[in-house]
Formats: sequence, structure tokens, C-alpha cells
Amino acid sequence: MINKKIIIEDMDLKGSPSNHRIVVAMSGGVDSSVTAAILVEAGFDVIGLTMQLYDHGQALKKKGACCAGSDINDARLVASQLDIPHYVLNYENLFKDKVIEDFADSYLRGETPIPCIRCNQTVKFTDMVERAKQLGASAMATGHYIRRRIFLGYPNLFKGLDETKDQSYFLFATTKKQLEFLRFPLGSLTKEETRMVARRHGLNVAEKPDSQDICFVPEGKYADVVRKLRPGNIECGNIIDVEGKVLGQHNGIIDYTIGQRKGLGIGGRKGIEDDNTALYVIGLDSKKHNVTVGPKELLACNKINISECNWIIDDPKKTKFNVLVKLRNSSTPVSGVINVNIDNGTSELNFDEPQYGISTGQAAVFYNIEEHSHVLGGGWIVDAPNMFSQL
Amino acid sequence: MVKLNKLTYLDYNATVPVLDEVKFAVMECMNIGPLNASSVHAFGRKGKNILESSRENIASIINANSEDIVFTSSATEATNLLFSNFDNILVSSIEHLAVLSSSKSNDFIRVNKYGVIDLNYLEDLLKKISADKKNILVSVMWVNNETGVIQPIDDVLEISRKYGCLVHCDAAQALGKIKIDLKKIDLDFMTLSGHKIGAPAGIGALVIKNNIHLNAHILGGGQEKGLRAGTENLIGICGFGKAASLLSEATYESCDKIKFLRDYLTNKIKLLSPETVFFGEDVNRVNNTILIALPNLPGDLVSMKLDLEAFYVSSGSACSSGKISNSHVLQAMGFKNLSSNGIRISLPPNVNMLGAENLITTNELDRFALCWANM
Repeated sequence: MINKKIIIEDMDLKGSPSNHRIVVAMSGGVDSSVTAAILVEAGFDVIGLTMQLYDHGQALKKKGACCAGSDINDARLVASQLDIPHYVLNYENLFKDKVIEDFADSYLRGETPIPCIRCNQTVKFTDMVERAKQLGASAMATGHYIRRRIFLGYPNLFKGLDETKDQSYFLFATTKKQLEFLRFPLGSLTKEETRMVARRHGLNVAEKPDSQDICFVPEGKYADVVRKLRPGNIECGNIIDVEGKVLGQHNGIIDYTIGQRKGLGIGGRKGIEDDNTALYVIGLDSKKHNVTVGPKELLACNKINISECNWIIDDPKKTKFNVLVKLRNSSTPVSGVINVNIDNGTSELNFDEPQYGISTGQAAVFYNIEEHSHVLGGGWIVDAPNMFSQL
Repeated sequence: MVKLNKLTYLDYNATVPVLDEVKFAVMECMNIGPLNASSVHAFGRKGKNILESSRENIASIINANSEDIVFTSSATEATNLLFSNFDNILVSSIEHLAVLSSSKSNDFIRVNKYGVIDLNYLEDLLKKISADKKNILVSVMWVNNETGVIQPIDDVLEISRKYGCLVHCDAAQALGKIKIDLKKIDLDFMTLSGHKIGAPAGIGALVIKNNIHLNAHILGGGQEKGLRAGTENLIGICGFGKAASLLSEATYESCDKIKFLRDYLTNKIKLLSPETVFFGEDVNRVNNTILIALPNLPGDLVSMKLDLEAFYVSSGSACSSGKISNSHVLQAMGFKNLSSNGIRISLPPNVNMLGAENLITTNELDRFALCWANM
């Protein structure tokens, strides 16, 4: 069971918990609900805040549906079960400007964006943190599976103890200053332990399934959302092979991702997907609107360029060193040599082994080569030249 | 009345705590037995008696006939029932969402910077619209819920009559705060809400004058002269009737005490926080409402901070989710930059509702003003 003393120690705040107001970012899911519950139990003065990010009724095209989804109602209900103040922040306009617009533009450029990181970066850890401070909070806690530990005198980020739930990939953009104020009480728990705590508190969200999709994209149909946001900007084009031979047509490059193999829309290939002749998306041309397909070898990529690098550790003293890098949330980190340009926030990363199917718009998150759970920082992949692009 | 320790409730325009007298009356009603006013036996007659005496109580405080009153679940439902009978409805830009959303109107009667409806604009609009449209309903609220500003409803009526329009007035915020006399102001329709005068929520009424025929939008057993089917909510109706009976000439005179508290708080805030903007101050308004803003602080933040200090107020228009949106009233008044900053403080509408223990005194208002100045 959760040890109260450990929770309090982990919060890294001086004095009695009752002297500290903690704002919990409550999404209405089981993780943030349990975060609030264990902080209440540990004696902190807890306030729940929930962000209203988009009009739920509009997103589902349900006429007359409430603007808030069931998640906000769940958060309110949990807050009332825990008997803590709870408020809803209306961030609809902010979220549209800073996250949704960027999401659409990114797809139009042929990238595969991660709006959840942009949201952490531009809404949750900026405006919401600001609001928490205005409400007199000592810290803001979230339900992320990641650990905050003091390292060489400063707070650093370490992967969640439960590697299968680790969310460090989504938090690389957390600044040192933000990290001073943020807390992640679930970092050392497994998902099952979290649900146990929820059941013990009788929270109605104890058995609620994890969210799978991007919150404003119903049923994972991201291309539908982009089409709605950018009508007239999405052009049909050809699906071509490496030689330029037209194999078929497509309705917009936004339907494709580099490295994609299934559902390419070029008939007659079913059943031979796993043999050596399987075709992958190897190029997306946002100017000529071509989708190029080819064999896996042409996806091979030896280096990537990264921009907007954020270092959670002290800024690297050396400009060139070995790191582990995670190129998408679900993949295993791979090793490489990073070449850092601190002044303009960019890096170049050369892989020890070629990597396949890297998309621009995704994040590259760096981990310590010796202490694999230690998050060093990360940035956005702006260029990932593969064999095909160098032909 | 419940003694709310250290809590200061300043949101009476949102809802009024159920009055002690109402609680007793409702309890008595529930103790009578199984009440369905349509039953042909003795309990049915008792139920019918409660229904009709409540109707009379309400009719008498607005100087209407009891047969003009149709009970509904809320003022919102009453408005929807009425509006479902009209295709052309002209509403003001500061109406409550119950009116704005159900009117499906695209033309809005403007207001000036004090939040008073622009009568010339109304006349121009009617001139234009009445040329090719018939059966126009004009709907203007008596008292605005955010500013407390009293609308020139007699002028609205006069102008609308000139163009052959029927007139509806949302009087949810007027009831219990100002004298309503339908013999003097001959409105065609009026909507009322029980919980704004100390009855429980869940009961409202549509007043239909001049024998105008309406069609029902809830069909069934023909209750309320066929206009609102469904077994009558006798507990709510009993509470509404009781709360109405507590309103009297003396109630409105006693409002001076509320005005004193309002002016006391206004002066304190002006003294301690000179940057505070006051809205609708220089025009005719009810005694219990203050709408203010701090130029650099969003209203949702201010209301959160006040909540944490146990002062309960309102900001903007809150969705049932708790999400706060900009105030369409302040926007209509031309305060675009302050439309998300407004904070409404609403005192008890009259001394009856102040409670025997006088829950709100100058002490609480001193604390509030200090808290406001320290935002």
C-alpha cells in the first residue's frame, strides 16, 4: 500500500503538508484522480483544476450536446468525492491557437505531429501552472508516470518505475523552471497499484479504461479532423514508386505516415505484405503531393536533425557525446552520438545502427547512456533523411 | 435558515436558499399523503386545493388572474413552451440563455453602455420586420440577472403594440425584487421561477394574459389546461405558492435595507480598490446586485480565489460543466475587453430572505472588500 511518509518526502516541500496548497491537474481519468486522492490522504491542501480544451459537442457533431465531455464530469465527481475545491479552466481558444492549428499545419507539411506534447508545452505547463501559482499553490501535481528526483542539487526527470507506463517521452519539453514547480506522485506506482488506490477510495473512475486517442480526435480519425480544419488545402495526388511510376491515387498526403505499410490504397498486394517485396511509405512530398512507396531498405536513416532542444539536465558541457534516443513513444531507445549546438537549440544525432521509418514532427527524447531511466532532454525531429531521399 | 459558518453566500441571483416557512409548508404538504391533483378521491381534492391556492398566491402578487398561470418545471421550460408557438421572436442582446437559445433569433435589440435596452433601435427594427412578417413576439427581460438593471418594460410594451406585436417578459429576476403589476403593465406573457424567491428549484410558471391560445409542447394527460401534461409537481408548487405569499408591499419597502448593504459594499470597494470598474451603476436597477470587474484579472480566477476564501459569487455565464465563458451581457454593453472579468455580487433580494439571523452584515462586507482589494 502507498506509504504516506514516502509520498510526503517525494513532494519535496518543506514543513507540514497542511501548509502547502497543491493544484492537481485533473483530467477525469484514473491517474490524475488517484494523484489527487493520495495527496489529500497525505494531508495536503488540494485543489483540482480541469482544462476544457475544445467543445466536445462540436467535436462529436452532436447537436445540443454539452460542451464538456464526460471526462470533465468525472473530474468534478471525483473532486466532490474527495471533498476538494475543483474548477474548470476554459482554454478552448488557447488550445485551438497553440495546439490544434499546429497539428493541422504539421500534417499538411507531411509530418506526424504529437499534439499532447505541444499541449503540455504550451497550455498545461504554462497557463495552467501560472494559474496554480495565482491560486497560491506550492506545486502542481499531475498523474504522469514519471519520477522527479533531485540530481546534483536540481530536480531531474527519470522514467516511471513501471516501464510499460512510462510517460517521459511526452514530457521532454518540461523546462527546468517548470520542473521546480511540478510533481508526479504516481512515478513509482504501477497502473494496477493506481487502480487499487482508486478502488480503496471508492472513486467512480477506478475501472475507467485508459484514453487511447488524441483527445480532440474522435475515434482516432485524425485525417477527418485535419480535413475539417483545412478545407480546400488538401490535394489529391499520385502514389508512385521509386522510379516515378504511378501505382495509384490518394486523397491527400495527410492520410500517410513515413514507414506506413498497411492501407496504402494500391490494390492487389494483400497477402504478400510480409515478404521481401512489401511496400512502405518512404517519401511524402507536400509540394508535388506525391506519396512514394518502396522497399524497407530505403527507409534506412543514419542521422536526424532536431530543433527546439530542451535540456532538463544542466546544459551539456560537451558538444558531442553518446546518448540513448527514443524516436516514438512505443519504440525502444537506440544508441547514437549527439552533436549539440546549445546556442541555436538544435542537435544532430548519428545513430550507431540505421533506423527505419522515422517521421518528422515526432519527438526525439534523450536518455543517459549509463543510467537508462535518466531523461536528459529532447527536441523535435525536423529532418530525417532516409536512403530514398538521398537517391 | 442554515447558519453557514464563515461562509458568505453572495449569489442570490443564482438561487435563493429555501426559506424556513417554505420548508415547513412543503413538509406539511408531503405529510398529507399521496397527492395527485387529478385523483377523484379525497387526496385528489386535497391536492387540487394546494394546486389552486398556490396559483392564487402567485396570481395575487403579480396582480393577475389565477387562471392565467400555467405551472412548468422552470422558467426555462415556460419560455420554451411559449416560444414553440412563434416563428418570429425578437429578443434583446442581454437576455438569459433560456430566452436567447430558445428564440432562434438573429436580430437582437441592442442595449446602451449602461445595459438599458435601446428603444429607438427596437422601433427601427420593428418598422423593418413588421413590413413583411406577422405574429411577431417581442421578448425583453424585466431585470437583467448580471447587472440588475431594470428595463423600461412599459415603453417596450407601448412600442411593440404600435406594430401589433405580442410581448413576453422574463421576470425571473424581477419577482421578489420589484413590484410587478400586470393590471398596470398589460404584458401578454411572463415567465417566473420559484427558486429565485426561496422555493425549491424545479418549479416555474408561464403567465398567459388576454386569453391567448397556445399549443402545448409536452403532451399527455391534459394537466394545466392541456398546456403542460404530466402529474403536477405539488411539492414544488406548494413551495412556490408559499414563497409568493411571503412577498408583500412590506417586502418591497424593506428593500431599503438591502440597498444600504449594497451601497455600503460599493463604497468600501471604491475606497480600497479604486481601479474596480462598476457596471450599470447610474441607471434604474434593483437593490441587491453589483456587477464589478478588475481590469487585469480574469473573472474565473477572481471567483476561484473568492471561493477559496469562502465568498460565493458568480462570474460570466457558467456552463453546467463549470466552464466559464465570457459574459454576453458585458459584450452587448460594449465592454469587450472586460467581458471575461465581470464578477456579480448578489445580496438577498429582500429582508425576508436575509434570514432571521441577518447572515450578511457590514462585517462580512468589510471582509469581502478587503479580500477584493488584495486580489
